Amino acid sequence: MKKTKLGEFEELVLLTVATLQQDAYGVEIKRELEERLKENLSVGSIQSALKRMEEKGFLTSEFGEATLKRGGKRKRIYTTTSYAHKILAEMKEIRAGLWDSMPQLAHSLKLV
Amino acid sequence: MSQQTDIHPPQWPVKLLRFFVKKEYLEEIEGDMEEIFRDSIEQSSLGKARRMYTWEMLKLLRPGLIKNLEGIDKLNQYGMFKNYFKVSIRGLMKNPLTSFINVFGLAAAIGICVFLYAFARWTFGTDQFHKNKNEVFLTTFFAERDGTLKQYGLTPRPLGELLRHDFAKIKKICRVEDKNVVVKYEDHVFNERLRYTDPEFLEMLTFPLKWGIASSLADVNSVILNEEVSIKYFGEENPIGKNLLIRFDKEHSKAFKVTGVAQKFPASRTIDFDFLINFENFRTTDPGYDYQDWTKLVNATLIQVENPKDLPAIAQGMDKYKKLQNEAVSIDQAISSFAFEPLATLHEKSGGIGDDISRSSDSNYTSVIFLSVIGAFLLALACFNYINIAIVSAAKRLKEIGVRKSIGATRNVVIIQFLTENVVITFFALTLGVFLGWMLVIPWFEELWHFDMGFRLNDFNLWIYVTLLLLITGLASGIYPAFYISQFQVVGILKGSLRFGTKNPITKILLGFQLVLACIFISMAVAFTQNSTYLAQRPWGYSQHEALYAVVPDQQAYEQLNAVMARNANVVSMSGSADHLGKSKTSTILHFPDREYEVDQYSVDARYFETMGLQLKEGRVFNDHEGSDKHAVVVNDLLAKSLGWDNAIGKVFQIDSVQYEVVGELKEFHSNSFSKPIRPTIFKVARKSDYRFLSMKVREGSEVETYKSMQTAWAKLFPETPFNAGFQEDVWGFYYQEMEIHGHVWRVFASIAIMLASLGLYGLVTLNVSGRAKEFSIRKVLGAAVKNITMSIVNQYVLLFAVALVIGAPISYVLIKLIFDFAYAYHMPVTYWSVAIGSVMLVLILLTTVFTQVGKVVKANPVNGLKQE
Repeated sequence: MKKTKLGEFEELVLLTVATLQQDAYGVEIKRELEERLKENLSVGSIQSALKRMEEKGFLTSEFGEATLKRGGKRKRIYTTTSYAHKILAEMKEIRAGLWDSMPQLAHSLKLV
Repeated sequence: MSQQTDIHPPQWPVKLLRFFVKKEYLEEIEGDMEEIFRDSIEQSSLGKARRMYTWEMLKLLRPGLIKNLEGIDKLNQYGMFKNYFKVSIRGLMKNPLTSFINVFGLAAAIGICVFLYAFARWTFGTDQFHKNKNEVFLTTFFAERDGTLKQYGLTPRPLGELLRHDFAKIKKICRVEDKNVVVKYEDHVFNERLRYTDPEFLEMLTFPLKWGIASSLADVNSVILNEEVSIKYFGEENPIGKNLLIRFDKEHSKAFKVTGVAQKFPASRTIDFDFLINFENFRTTDPGYDYQDWTKLVNATLIQVENPKDLPAIAQGMDKYKKLQNEAVSIDQAISSFAFEPLATLHEKSGGIGDDISRSSDSNYTSVIFLSVIGAFLLALACFNYINIAIVSAAKRLKEIGVRKSIGATRNVVIIQFLTENVVITFFALTLGVFLGWMLVIPWFEELWHFDMGFRLNDFNLWIYVTLLLLITGLASGIYPAFYISQFQVVGILKGSLRFGTKNPITKILLGFQLVLACIFISMAVAFTQNSTYLAQRPWGYSQHEALYAVVPDQQAYEQLNAVMARNANVVSMSGSADHLGKSKTSTILHFPDREYEVDQYSVDARYFETMGLQLKEGRVFNDHEGSDKHAVVVNDLLAKSLGWDNAIGKVFQIDSVQYEVVGELKEFHSNSFSKPIRPTIFKVARKSDYRFLSMKVREGSEVETYKSMQTAWAKLFPETPFNAGFQEDVWGFYYQEMEIHGHVWRVFASIAIMLASLGLYGLVTLNVSGRAKEFSIRKVLGAAVKNITMSIVNQYVLLFAVALVIGAPISYVLIKLIFDFAYAYHMPVTYWSVAIGSVMLVLILLTTVFTQVGKVVKANPVNGLKQE
């Protein structure tokens, strides 16, 4: 956990990429996340999160098809690495562990 | 998708994006953005889509995506720069001589530049502290005198009051009239200059008060002083409420209550005052003063308008006053028009306006230009030193550059390294220079001229100026060496096949230029020094020594003093006069049937010529009979010459409708200082009641003694009146001082210039000689004589010196002539001598510089030279 430094927003983007699989390129990721979060996101924030995570080794990417709608520019399709999966799983576990221990904590606090 | 072709997202954000964002991200992001744009047109209007597109684009410019990070990576060479600094500092320590030459030379020049800034600030700030400087105007008029249109700052007496009533747009008005009076407080009695003015004076000219209130001037019984006067009478204590007795003339004196003291006036001002009293005081102190007399003028009338734009309208309305004025005065006193001069720029024009309130700052502006040129040249000298030394000493650093280049330094990196070194040196020089300017040059100049420039280090503009100076000096001195040194190929350097530094033509040219400048400066200094000696000996045309004068209040006092002094055995001759050479004169207009001519006029008695030693060229002086020569005049030879008279005697003209006849013509004499040309002058017989001066000729060597006995006599005769007398030679004392200062200033500049040039030369010779140590050793071992070695060093420079002198000497000669003609009305004849003396001095200094090194080489043991790597 120490070395990964995966931010909250980054984690969300990473999960979205994992969900979208073959469709995971900029616009689609943005659309999906906006739908789920119910708020508008800027291209810049998503792009910088993607680039950061690619640098950290959570994502790899390659060029996809080009469409007329994109002015003939190719998409960049992102794929999660196994390292990302491992980290995501770890985080989920840590969270789950925390959730599990919460009622007890609350209870014990009440006693004092 | 038919609209695909005709609807486009705005183009400029894309360009922005391409400029800032990393190349590898561009295709993806541009595509994404276009896709989003297309989506959003389907949902909302084109305009909104475009706005959103642009906004999104702008939000894309964030640290993670933009190129700059790469740039910053590149710039982030902290380690490298740290190394450069270390190398520069080590270099400085290792070559203390060249470092000293560079740093000290630049510092001296920068010190002068800092002083220049202070002086320019002082000059441009003249009178700018008045809050209403753009709304206050001086009323002036144009009039034709001697066939030329001149501007005068005086105003007819009644005009002020009329302007006040007739123009709604004129907010405030004040008249100013000055008068000499005697002021008495307890046992302090002094002659003073008193200023009558309207109470608005202090509202229009915003002199801050130290004590009291400005509006108290509305009271006719109050007086406002300046700080200096206040200290003179009352010391450091607050004088508000104290009474001063002012004696206007024999019959009229009045007590005034001090109600205000002005703060110390700003250093750069041309308008000030000693004593201010209400203008209405004329009613009580001078019953003959007619406020409605159009033929009389007041010293100044100032107006203040609401808006400077109203001025043309007011100026147009002045025509009716012109008519009033011209009806009142005779035709030769007629004026052509009224005009207004803004206070903000009055001091610049004051020289051309005959006004009585402001002093001219012309000469200061000229000085600023002069000094700027000198400053620029000195800075150039210092920069050339740096360039020369950098180029020559680069020979020693070839290996370093070669190694740096071979382990990957590009040319740019080497350039940056050298510029960094340069910045380090310039920075040291700047710090030292500001310090020198602040602690040495400015106090020196202030002491010479006895004034305070008000220089402060916490002046924002100063630091902008200093920063600019740093940049300019840094670039000017650093760019060429950096480019020159960095251009060499590694292979050549490391093989050792490259030799340079000794034969660079630029070094020679720069050194030559320095020598030319040094030649000019030194010749100037010689010429100015010679000139001040010359002027000190130049005859005035009348006696400067053995002559004393005393100012007397009236005829009666003259008679009493005359009677006492006549008994003094030292007095050879005595005379009374209304005017006195160098102290007081009037001007008048001579009327001829066909022309008019303005001249200076002195009213004197018959013995004046003898007493003052004025020499007659032709004719006679006045006879000693009271009244018999009432219509006779004595003229100077310039008057006769300029009117084209072969023989002045017997010529007639009118003054104020009275006919006068010329009875005598005098030899040339200077009634002004040598800085002003001689003016056509006449002498008239003075009425006894007008006597204001008593002048006397005394036996040689008895001047001081006579002066003292006169002082004692005065104290007995007139205990209530201040003693105002002096030696004739002191009348122009300040003028000689000024001449001496000119010489002094030039000598200082010349010393700096010579010092810079010879320091540079010394540096070059030293480097040259140390670079050739092996060569000299071999020569010596093989039997070269001292002469041969000396020649081989000196030869390099002799030609350069010769060329520099050939160019520098004629330029110096022409410049001296130009500057002398410009600055002095009378100066010594400019000869080749000053230039010759200057050149010889320069050559001597230069040869001494070279020979110090020659001596070292000659004495050195060749073994040491050969051992050297």
